[in-house]
Order: sequence, then C-alpha cells, then structure tokens
Amino acid sequence: MAADEAKQKLDGLIKKTGAFDCVECGKCTSLCPITKEDPNFAPRLIVVKALEGMAEQVAGARDIWVCLTCARCSAKCPYKVNYTEFIRGMRETARKGGVAPACSEGGLMNSLAGLMTKPDLGQNRLGWLEEGMKVAEKGQYLLFTGCTPYLNVIFGEKDDRVLEGTKAAVRILNKLGITPVVSADERCCGHDQYWAGDRETFEKLARLNIEWIKSTGAKTVLATCPECFRALTKDYQKVDPDFDIEVLHISEFLCDQLEDGKLKLTKEVPETVTYHDGCRLARHIGVVDEPRMLLEKVPGLKMAEMESAGDESACCGVSALMNCDNTSKSIQLRRLKEAKATGASRMLAFCPKCRIHFKCARTGNLPFPKEEVDIDVVDFLTVLDRAI
Amino acid sequence: MSTEEVKPKGPGAAVAEGRVLVIGGGVAGIQASLDLADAGAQVYLVEKSPSIGGWMAFLDKTFPTNDCSICILAPKMADCFGHPNINVLTSSKVIGVKGEAGKFTVTILRKSRFIDEEKCTGCLECVEKCPTKVPNEFEFGLGIRKAIYIPFMQAVPRVVSIDREHCIKLTKDKCGVCEKTCKRGAVDYEMKDQEAEIKVQAIIVAIGFEPWDPTTSREYGYGRYPNVYTAIEFERIINASGPTGGHIQRRSDGQRPRKIAYIQCVGSRNPAVGHPYCCSVCCMHSTKEAMLAREHHDDMESTIFYKDMRTFGKGFNEYMERAKRDYGVRYVNSDATVEENKDNHNPIVVYDVAGKSEREEFDMVVLANTLIPRASSQELAQVLGIPLTEFSFFKSKDRILHPTDTSRDGIFLAGYCAGPADIPECVAQGSAAASRAMDIITHHSAKGAHAAKETHATKEASA
Repeated sequence: MAADEAKQKLDGLIKKTGAFDCVECGKCTSLCPITKEDPNFAPRLIVVKALEGMAEQVAGARDIWVCLTCARCSAKCPYKVNYTEFIRGMRETARKGGVAPACSEGGLMNSLAGLMTKPDLGQNRLGWLEEGMKVAEKGQYLLFTGCTPYLNVIFGEKDDRVLEGTKAAVRILNKLGITPVVSADERCCGHDQYWAGDRETFEKLARLNIEWIKSTGAKTVLATCPECFRALTKDYQKVDPDFDIEVLHISEFLCDQLEDGKLKLTKEVPETVTYHDGCRLARHIGVVDEPRMLLEKVPGLKMAEMESAGDESACCGVSALMNCDNTSKSIQLRRLKEAKATGASRMLAFCPKCRIHFKCARTGNLPFPKEEVDIDVVDFLTVLDRAI
Repeated sequence: MSTEEVKPKGPGAAVAEGRVLVIGGGVAGIQASLDLADAGAQVYLVEKSPSIGGWMAFLDKTFPTNDCSICILAPKMADCFGHPNINVLTSSKVIGVKGEAGKFTVTILRKSRFIDEEKCTGCLECVEKCPTKVPNEFEFGLGIRKAIYIPFMQAVPRVVSIDREHCIKLTKDKCGVCEKTCKRGAVDYEMKDQEAEIKVQAIIVAIGFEPWDPTTSREYGYGRYPNVYTAIEFERIINASGPTGGHIQRRSDGQRPRKIAYIQCVGSRNPAVGHPYCCSVCCMHSTKEAMLAREHHDDMESTIFYKDMRTFGKGFNEYMERAKRDYGVRYVNSDATVEENKDNHNPIVVYDVAGKSEREEFDMVVLANTLIPRASSQELAQVLGIPLTEFSFFKSKDRILHPTDTSRDGIFLAGYCAGPADIPECVAQGSAAASRAMDIITHHSAKGAHAAKETHATKEASA
C-alpha cells in the first residue's frame, strides 16, 4: 500500500478513535497486561508515533499484533481514546500493506473460518447433540453455538470438555421449555477475522450468518461465547445496519428468566467457585453483574472473587488466536494463581477459548510448584445446569 | 415612584444601611465579609459547619511562599468573627431566597449545636469528659474526636457542638456528662433547630469545593492499599497539629516513609470520570508537599508523576525549579497506577517513561485527587435561582468580563465554587465580589444602577 494511503487511513483512525485527544499520560501503559510481562511494549508509544504521523512504522511494527485488544487501557483512558478500535484499524491497514499476523495452531481455525465463507458449504457440526436434547431449524430463540464443535476437534487434547457449555445451554433451555434453533448452517461469527484486520472474511461470514438467522424466524439470538456475543451485538451492525434482531448473552437471558420465576435453581451445589470475566463480555460489552447474580441464587454455592475481577478482570493472554507466546503463558499463569488463591475449587468462564488457554498453560513445565495453579476451569453454564 | 425608593442621601449613608449575605466561611467568604464590613456595611456570614475557616484551615503550608496556612488564616478568622459589622452564623444553611437585588428576603436554617453560644467559653472540659469517641472528619478518620467537640484547635467561634448522630444522650437518652461538667450551664439537650429571616440587598456565594473520592478509580488502589493517601490526608499527617503530631507515618505499620510518590491529576483532566477540567492547584500542592516532606527529613525522596506540569502563577515555575534544585524532587512525565507488595504493604507505582514500562516500589503514595463542586451546589443553585455549569460549578454571567456576577442581579460568586482557583485567586475574587455587592448597596438596586448607566449611555449616544 502506498505510504499516502496508509497516512490517510491513519488520520481517519486518529479522528474516529479519539486518539487525537491523547495527552500522552501513559496510563494505558501502566495498566497493560502485556507491558507487565514485556516492559518494551508501550501502548502510549504506539499512539504517540501515530500522532507524529509515522504511519508506516506503526502499521509495519510487530506491536500492533501483540496487543490483546482486551480494552484494559480504553476502559481507564482519561480521554476516552478507543484504543482497541485504533489497533484493529491499524491491523486492517497493515494487512492491506501485506503484513499479516502469525496465527497459533498453524492458522487452522482461521483457515476453517475461510472455508465457512463458501455459501453452499455443508457442515457436519451437530454431532455433539445428545439423545433427548431438543433443537429445531426454526423457532423464536436461536442458540448461537459458536466454534465449540470445531474447537473440540482441534483442541480436544488440551481440553476434552470444550462442548460442555454448549450442551449445558441446550439442556437449560430445554428445561425452561424452549426448543432453541441450533443448525448446521451456522458459520463462524468472524470475530477473530475482524480483530485480525481481515475485514473481507469477516463481512462474508457476517452476511451468511445474518441471512441464516433471519431465515430461522428467530426473535432472540442467545450467545454463550463472549466473542460471538461481541460480534453479534456490536460488529454485525456495521455490515448490515438493518440487522436489528435482539441479541442477548445467555446470562442476561437467564437473569430475566430468574426474575420472571421461570428459572428455578433448586439443587444444592455445595462448592466454592470463582469467575473469570472474559474481556469481550465484561469490558467490551459490560456484562458484569448478571453472571454474579445467577451464581448468587445457586443454593449452597459460594463465590470467591479474584484480585482482579469484573471490568478490571485480567485477560487470558491470547486474542483472536493470534499471539500465543511466553508473554501469554505468563499472563495465564498469573491469572490461574489469582484463581487458586481464592481457595475456590473451580474457575468458571463463559469463553471456550479462555478455558482452553488456561488449561494449556497448566500443562507445560512450570517455574513453580504445580499446586499454585492447580484449579479446574469449567464452563459457567455447567454449574447452573447442575442447580436446576 | 414607589415609597420604597431611597431618599436622596450620600453614598456613606447607603453603605451604613447596606446588608449583604455571604454564604460560605472559607477564605473567599471571609475576605468578602471583611471588605464589606470594613467599608461599613452589615454582613451575615452563613457557614454550614461549626467553624469558619474552610479548607485553608486543613492545610499545613500554602504555596508559593510556604507560609503556615492556619497562621495566616486564623487572624482573619478572628477579625471576621469579632468584627462589629459581621454576624457569623455557623452550623447554618440558606434554605430560601425571595425578592430581587436590593431587597432579598433570605430564610436561614440554624441547626442546633445544643450549646448556648453566649455561655460557652471553649474551656473544653466537657470534651475531656465525653465518653463517646467518633472518627474525626477534620482528620479524615485518621484521628478521633468526641461527640461533643470543636472541629479543630483554632476553630472560630471557639464554641463546642454536640454531634447529634453520635451523642448517646441525644440518641439513647443515656450519659448527660457534659451538662453536669459545664459550670456555665451552656449545654441544652432540648435546643431546637431554628429558622431565621433576614433582609439583604446582595448575596455572595462562596461555598467552595470538596475533594473527589478516588476509591472508584481502583487503579490507584486508594481504600484498598493502606499506604495510599489523598493529598488532603497527607496535609493533615504532615501538619504539626494533625493526628500524628506532624510525624509522617504509614497507615499499615506506623513507620516513617523514605520514598514517597505523588500522582497528579487523579480524577481531574479526566473526561472519563466526568472532570475534564484541570483542578489548577495540584501541580503546586504536590510540589509543596514534596518540599515539606524533605524539610521534615533529609533522607526523604519524593517523586512526582505528572501529565503536564502546569505551574502557571506568579513565581510558581520558580517554585518548582527550587523543588528540583534544592529539595531533590524528581519529576516523571507519566500518569501512573498503583499495585501493592503484599509482604510489606509498599505501594508499587507502574508508569511509562518514553515507551518503556517501569515499576518502582515506594513507601507511600499521595494522590492529588481533584476538587469538585460541593454536592449541595445543585440544591443551593435552585434556592438562589442561578445556573450551574455542566460540571456543577456556579456559572458566571460572563467568564471574562463579569467573572463574579451571576445571571441574577445582586447575586455574586467568589472562590472555587465558581471554578478551579488557588488561594490567592479565591481571596481576590472575595474582594471582587464584595466590590460588586457594594455597587448594589450604593445604588440600592441593580436595576437602578443599570438604569442610571443606560441613561448615561443614551445621553452620550444622542450627544
């Protein structure tokens, strides 16, 4: 891409994301989870370079691919600079200039997403449905299952319970008398492509999903995965401004059901758990209270908060399956230590990727006794499923 | 012509009949009251707390001269209270204003102190005997006071008050020790709140500010980490009459810190928390606090983390240069966040120098938390019928040419409640507002003054 074009794109981004307001205070750097492990990574410097007009240096640098877009900085920036969007925009620019990220697992998930852009693709993705689970092709509620059926195949060795949350979601909805739409026509939500700057693939996936969702007659889309939820609520609208079907996170939906008296949590779950807020769910969207309200209503269950929780929650160390390295490992182990320190027997999370990353981090050679991070990581919904 | 029209008299006679209400007994309100009273007008100074003095009474020293704050304020407080033309109404609040410039009728709620102000001599024997201990709000909970108390040693008037929320006589009908102790029979548990009505020609609003509570900005760790302090707390612990007798001590272990970090712009210049404005004083007060800490102990190392240094006033920049040169204060251009070393409760400051992240352990962190309009501003603005700015400061009629006027004739502003200002500026505004009020008095109504000016202008135009 011509330098002029990069410069132009950069100027647009600076305006759009409010980066122009940056007073170079460095608060972003002091909060960045990457910086904590790698002192040479400084969000402040990236913005300063951009403001100085060094478009090509910014777009060509490794730094923009290292960022986790976890929004820890954006959430606290005094001048409300939308840093995550700034990085995402830079990635789009960089990609046009021929720079692409190195994806983990050989880019397998990414290739799968690419395959799913084919309109006439026949997927065999419903093999996980168990006997007795009721699902339909059309209906009022649509359960967006996300990539768990694929993740189960690819990461099965690291986490053999990737699908447990998806299954629990179907069971819970069935118990509420709801037969959700679950279909082989669902595609990857495109979240990872969107955040890796691959706008083209993302838009293709979004269009196919929107078309499919509309065809099911669904009035409400329920998402369990925070990444799918973010894409469906905030990013699909950029592809199709008319996409206005209600999208709820399953925790929001279940909270409503609880208030209406339809969801009854009656069975004892006598254990102590802690809850890992995914960055997409807690900071990008702001769903913080609902999961906690649900846990509070489970009889016998104790919830122990980690040192960093809610919208200040630490990250799982990898985003868009792009950057898995020693920094990621350190971030993951740090988080597991926090979880273990609560005295909880399990850490709950909605995000299947967070769970895989944590479980993976525990398996390698550790520079400290294994007991410090020895805590089970399970899907949030499994606890609710046991309580109904 | 109505019968209320002033009879032709010289300006001196008008002044002697002049009556002005000043709301707020901080340094701006005190200055306004003294100026008006010295010129011969009658002043009602209404203060909501039991003593006048305001925030200046909390401070250890003032910049840029490092004068002892209470030492230069206390004489003014005493002058104010003792002035024959000033009627100081403490523990009081304005609850109603009717009328217009030149003839306001003001309703004042005088909260009962349960003490006869005429009888109490401030001997404090009752305070000694009172069995109920309460966290002292003047020391931000760092010290204790009794349920019968004077807010601070130099309080004016030197009259005790009973704290109705904590006194066990008032809440549970037990005790009664203070009544028995008082030889002059000043204690009256039956004393009721009273409403008073006064007539004034002009009103000066000088209710000041309150410090912003940084607890919600969790990245600074205030309230979570014991050795993170707000600036005003630090002013108290470094103050010889403060809760530690001027010994700088840590909350966690009572040890003296050797390395102190000051973090600037905590909650100010921060649109995300609703205060995009610069508080206009923290560059200077942190510099001052760092200097004072060094004056206390030769081995004290101070580091100030800042977004920009805005030492803009007369002699201010030189003050900062002196801090660097003579006091070894280190300035680091970065906002910072705070973590904690769990083993010794040492705060760890995380910051960014030229794109490289740094972590540094300190013994204590002092947050320059911003100053915000008082929560009561909204209510008072309604009572007075004057507008607020988007940040709830009182709005000037014109920020440039009429800084102390409001949109309502006869009501004037002084001090921080009109927008960020330091002590010298607040004092200047107090005098300015007094002079504007004097204009109302001498013309007896702003309308009259305005009309006179207009006639003058018309004449000039037609000439």
